[in-house]
Amino acid sequence: MARTSTTNDVFSAIGEPKRRALLEQLVLQQMTVSDLVEAMEWSQPMVSKHLKVLKDVNLVSETKVGRFHYYRVQPDELRPIQEWVHQFEKYWGGALEQLDSYLTDIQKTRDDDER
Amino acid sequence: MNAKTIEPSVIIREFDAPRQLVFDAWTQVKHLNNWMFPMQGCQCEFVSADIRDNGTSLHKITMPNGHEMWLFTKYEEVAPPEKLVFLQYMSNEDGDILPMAHMPNWPKDMLATLHFEELAKGKTKITFYWEPRNPTAEELAVFEASREDHQGGWGSGMEQLATYLATR
Repeated sequence: MARTSTTNDVFSAIGEPKRRALLEQLVLQQMTVSDLVEAMEWSQPMVSKHLKVLKDVNLVSETKVGRFHYYRVQPDELRPIQEWVHQFEKYWGGALEQLDSYLTDIQKTRDDDER
Repeated sequence: MNAKTIEPSVIIREFDAPRQLVFDAWTQVKHLNNWMFPMQGCQCEFVSADIRDNGTSLHKITMPNGHEMWLFTKYEEVAPPEKLVFLQYMSNEDGDILPMAHMPNWPKDMLATLHFEELAKGKTKITFYWEPRNPTAEELAVFEASREDHQGGWGSGMEQLATYLATR
């Protein structure tokens, strides 16, 4: 209800779980719509709908080979997503894990018998 | 209902280390350079650090693929060994804050508040709050939307995607 309708930016394009799943699939290899229908087990209109949103924000590009249209991920466009992925849980959760192992390392040298 | 109320995201972690050491790890460059990055294989370099009330710092994180990311931090409160409050921004190498061109409605000011609690001798708990400061309605909505996604959990495929990007 309270969601913003900023469908034209990369952020909301990838905010939809189905579109992330599509991207994850296309990261592996370029595919046609029918390849995707088969791989995702979604209807063709469903695949086309989400693919269109990804194309509109240039996360996915289209190449025509004969009568086939191949879709692939545009990694450069995904770079800002890296920054987003690194938001709170990703970024700071990861950093706190680094902190934990760092603290463990530097304390190893100490003689710790407190029992 | 109460759309104006901001509920911060929270991470709580416990560390097997004395509180003063955990706090120092957040405020001293000799420690920070060793861990202040989101995953293994990154490198961190603080090029400036004036970590005290109203101080700033600038550091660079180099991703495993060589991609560099600069972060500028404004410290509002540095109260050893119990509390740390700062705003952090993506920046360039001069510390100029960069607009998030691809995420126009991501909150401009993200505030981090950390509480360091001594649970027992050599055991410290960090409670880390993360929230937009004075967000516009759009910014708040984007923040909330991103959180809904996080709570749904990123699939392992997204991890794969991140790894793929990081190794390019």
